Amino acid sequence: MTDTDFFVQQLINGVSLGAMYSLLALGFTLVYGILELINFSHFNIFMVGSFVALGVLQAMGVFGQATVMTGFPLIGVMVVAFAATMVFCGILGVVIYRFLLRPLRHVKGPAAMITTIGVSYILLNVILLTIGADNHNFPNPLPPITFAIGGAVLRLREILIWVIATLLMGGLTFFVGYTKLGKAMRATAQDPEAARMMGVEVDRVIMTAFFIGSALAGAGGLIFGLYYNDTSSNIGFNAGLRAFTAAVLGGIGNVPGAMLGGVIIGVIEAMGGGYLATEWTDVIIFSILVLVLVVRPAGLLGRLAPNKS
Amino acid sequence: MVEAVMTALGRPFARIPLERRKQLGLLLLTVFILIFPLIHDDDADIDSMANAAAYATLALGLNIVVGFAGLLDLGYAAFFAIGAYLYGILTAYQVLPTWSGFWTPLAAVGLVEKINQGGPDLVHFTLSFWIALPLAAVVAAFFGVLFGAPTLRLRGDYLAIVTLGFGEIVPIVARNVDSVTNGAAGLNGVQAPKLFGWSFGVSATPYYYVGVALVAFLIFVSIRLRDSRIGRAWMAIREDEIAASAMGVNLVRLKLLAFAIGAAFAGMTGVFYVAKLQTATPELFGFPVSTMILVMVVLGGMGSVWGVVLGAVILQLLQSWFLKGLSNWINDFGVMVGSDWLQQVDLVRSIELIFGIILVVMMLFRRDGLIPATRKTAALTFDAQHAEVRRGGFSGLESIGTHENETGNALEVKNVVVRFGGLTALNKVNIVVPAGGVVAVIGPNGSGKSTLFNVITGLTHADEGSILFHGAEILGLQPHQIAEAGVARTFQNIRLFPNLTVLENVLVGQHTRLSTSFAGAILRLPKAKAEESRARRWALDIIALFGNRLSPRIMQQVNGLSYANRRRVEIARALATRPKILLLDEPTAGMNPAETLELAEQIKSLHALGLTILIIEHKLDVVTKLADNVIVLDHGEKIAEGLPEVVRRDDAVLTAYLGRAAREAVNAA
Amino acid sequence: MQPDFHNPDVLLSFNDVNTHYGDLHVLKDVNYTIGRGEIVSLLGGNACGKSTTMKTIMGIVRPTTGTVLLDGKPIERLSTSDRVRLGIAPVLEARRLFPRMTVYENLEMGAYTRPKGAEFEEDLERVYSLFPRVKERRAQLGGTLSGGEQQMVAIGRALMARPRLICMDEPSMGLSPLYVEQVFDIIQEINRQGTTIFMVEQNANMALSIAHRAYVLQTGVVVLSGTAAELRENPTIKEAYLGEMQVAEAAE
Repeated sequence: MTDTDFFVQQLINGVSLGAMYSLLALGFTLVYGILELINFSHFNIFMVGSFVALGVLQAMGVFGQATVMTGFPLIGVMVVAFAATMVFCGILGVVIYRFLLRPLRHVKGPAAMITTIGVSYILLNVILLTIGADNHNFPNPLPPITFAIGGAVLRLREILIWVIATLLMGGLTFFVGYTKLGKAMRATAQDPEAARMMGVEVDRVIMTAFFIGSALAGAGGLIFGLYYNDTSSNIGFNAGLRAFTAAVLGGIGNVPGAMLGGVIIGVIEAMGGGYLATEWTDVIIFSILVLVLVVRPAGLLGRLAPNKS
Repeated sequence: MVEAVMTALGRPFARIPLERRKQLGLLLLTVFILIFPLIHDDDADIDSMANAAAYATLALGLNIVVGFAGLLDLGYAAFFAIGAYLYGILTAYQVLPTWSGFWTPLAAVGLVEKINQGGPDLVHFTLSFWIALPLAAVVAAFFGVLFGAPTLRLRGDYLAIVTLGFGEIVPIVARNVDSVTNGAAGLNGVQAPKLFGWSFGVSATPYYYVGVALVAFLIFVSIRLRDSRIGRAWMAIREDEIAASAMGVNLVRLKLLAFAIGAAFAGMTGVFYVAKLQTATPELFGFPVSTMILVMVVLGGMGSVWGVVLGAVILQLLQSWFLKGLSNWINDFGVMVGSDWLQQVDLVRSIELIFGIILVVMMLFRRDGLIPATRKTAALTFDAQHAEVRRGGFSGLESIGTHENETGNALEVKNVVVRFGGLTALNKVNIVVPAGGVVAVIGPNGSGKSTLFNVITGLTHADEGSILFHGAEILGLQPHQIAEAGVARTFQNIRLFPNLTVLENVLVGQHTRLSTSFAGAILRLPKAKAEESRARRWALDIIALFGNRLSPRIMQQVNGLSYANRRRVEIARALATRPKILLLDEPTAGMNPAETLELAEQIKSLHALGLTILIIEHKLDVVTKLADNVIVLDHGEKIAEGLPEVVRRDDAVLTAYLGRAAREAVNAA
Repeated sequence: MQPDFHNPDVLLSFNDVNTHYGDLHVLKDVNYTIGRGEIVSLLGGNACGKSTTMKTIMGIVRPTTGTVLLDGKPIERLSTSDRVRLGIAPVLEARRLFPRMTVYENLEMGAYTRPKGAEFEEDLERVYSLFPRVKERRAQLGGTLSGGEQQMVAIGRALMARPRLICMDEPSMGLSPLYVEQVFDIIQEINRQGTTIFMVEQNANMALSIAHRAYVLQTGVVVLSGTAAELRENPTIKEAYLGEMQVAEAAE
């Protein structure tokens, strides 16, 4: 493989990772935009999502890499897997908000954030204790079709990931830009009291944000499994920090920013993994996070500056 | 807590007075702790208790950062790692430079030794455990400042994330700088402590006693700090850092101090823990450990010294004894009922799940923790809160001292311009307040009165102009510097420190007038003690100015006081800064006419102290009673100035308040 | 105490309403009536309770005692969105448009509680004809407009709810005299077209030039009330604004 090929390959990897991080970052930024809450449990909903997807796929008879499908059955299986995972995770997110975070809505200080740390641990350990810490092989029904770009390889799964991520992000953009509830969400993020005076039921808007955000996290979990061919209980923390950095880089609370940030972080991770040791990628990503927050807190596109007012 | 145990023990104890009971309980507890290894000869259990001691010191350290100062540090384990690796690197057999003459004097002092592993002579570092403790404290404190500095201007949740980031970078570095740290395998052969040549060896007992001593020492330090000027300043920052800054607290210095001292506690614990374990690996540090320490603090009570120690002990007992015992019981029960699953249950593995549950449950139901830091004195009933209105101003002012009557102008605001985006809040405003005078600033809503106060006290940045305070330029200074110069204020929306008592609120006002440093607070030498008791007396004298409105409530948390009383506490706090000028922002807001009159007369009597007063007030009666000169602002500009009676009749003023009549407005445009 | 019968000419009334902020007693036994088709203004100086009145009507603040009646039925326990559905729309203090939504989207938000359809289009046309400037700027972001333009949009946003009662909080605040003139003309026009207006306003002179009736509030107590004509003649209004105590109270 020539140097250009290697670069192109990393770029391909990066965009795929970026798609996943974007979905995660979007979910996170939706909630932050309205509640100004850092939701630590978001990233373990992602992890739970990957296991739910695994279960759903196995329930439909897809095991490991052995079962290969094409055409309509493949599309059907994928649609069902995504739908089921997203709905489950969405509901999980709403339940967390409704019972554990809503009571703390008017409490000042770090109480709500600490609660999300707790929930994150609970989710992680429920999976750890029931399913275990091992890597689980992730079912992949895709035929092993590949395309060559010079010397680099583009697999079908990557195309699928890009397509699905684009569809989801497009759907979200449409929802937020053109539907009544979506506009209500934007309004609530910009001025909750004014929105309330327009007749918006702020609580319902918040629950919608949690549902959509968690559903996107679930989709991200399924994509993780498809991309890496496996999953385990500790994928949340790492992916979480990257997605969080992506959201901050793009501008916290900003939807296009989360998408942009996700792709950038994904590419950085792929390049880092390709050209440096993977351990140092973590340090690079953390450094970006710290740098952005200290030097330009509003991020690339954002407006909500995390400074003291 | 101690008292609860005592009352549980029954009636013979109930006859002993409360203070004695606490002391007796503490004594019994101490004796029990000291003889524990002698009466319970199980090395594993003693080792667990030594671990509990380590947890406790970590919790105490985090308590200073999170509990006292309100800085949510999620990467606290990094400092634990730094201390641990410091001792590890300087005692294990990992870093072995080649021997040369340079090392001979150090060998003589016992810091290094010459060894040979079949090749050239090598240097083996043999740093004494006892030197490592303070050394690690200092090194960790340095890193505390380094990691804390970038977070100073961030909001609470972002501060948490940045500290989390730093907390993750440290173990990654540890894992990857193999040559020094031996990477993921960690450092083995870490030296056991030696006392007068006798090595601690592998028995847990000596470590237990060292651990207990460390805990006792750090409890002592925590309590000394908590009850000092430093502790109060930290809590003020936690409650309302803007108000703290306006009362003279140097935010940067105190936040960094909190990070440093908290880190120091963790660094020392690192040395202790690794000396006992005789190995240092990267898994010992990282977010899970930071979270565990947070759980201890949350469980015990943020800000509560005894609480976090209890939290640490509970968590350790949970892990090492309770869960194991419960698992065994469940397993046996499983054998009895023939359930395979029950026989396999191992609750010790679920400790992290329990951490998560503790965090959620505590936040939802008992945010103050098991032993709340703030002792809640019951709010008084309405009858008890009712007080007689006192006319005639403050009496007893002599006890709070007088200022020399200064001459000249106390305050000169010259051509100050303040812009917020496209809006000009203050437009070339000029104000002169003569020393010893009382000047009132009035004007309709949005005229810029509060902005004026904010720019004088340094909370808002001015785009142009100058502000002279007794001839010295104060524009551009930090709020705490301006407070130190003698400018004190109250806020329109009342910014007290809600969870602190009346007395504590007033004492924070004295922050810049006291000089006890953190070392002084810990040592509490006679000079520091004298300063503290002087401060207390002064605070009580100021509080006593308000008669029986505040004095009976000095130990009550201010968020339980009536609105009017909270206003009074704010004024008392401002007076405690020994100001030369007092800026009062709508001090009578929310008071009924009788209370308003009382306060107006009290403010007037402050005048007798030589205090200059600048007051924003919208009740013209009050203004007429108090002010020598009235300045009227409208839309950020001064539109009138003069005696109250004159201003009140000024057409421009009436128009500002009542608005231009419709037709006139167009003609004038 | 509820009236025994409901005067059909009264659209909204406050009956012995008391509100608190913590232990601070803000509104004290306050009574207002707003007649159908009237412009009623609430006047007063700083910190007198005007904003709290607005918030109590909209449901952000609940009275500790007393009732708020709309068409004779109590609404003080209803949610804000229910009150909007019943026909009360706000024009908020300092406009508070959604800064990163377009003018059109802001207007849409005004009609949030109503279904999209023919009526929505009608109301949109009405707003555009009342405010040609708003129509011009309909694709611009709310935060980029000038204060006066924002006020137009804010009023238009309220009209999009097809309300029976519009509550305005300080419509003249922060506007240049020319815009104030225009805004008050428009308020009169809207009223002539049938909408009842309740206007909290510091600029007493302006308000009294278009209101039918007015109340003057001072530290939470209604100290003066009457027709606009009566109040225009009354010199004690100055005292209320300048915060001079009613002599009787101070003697307590």
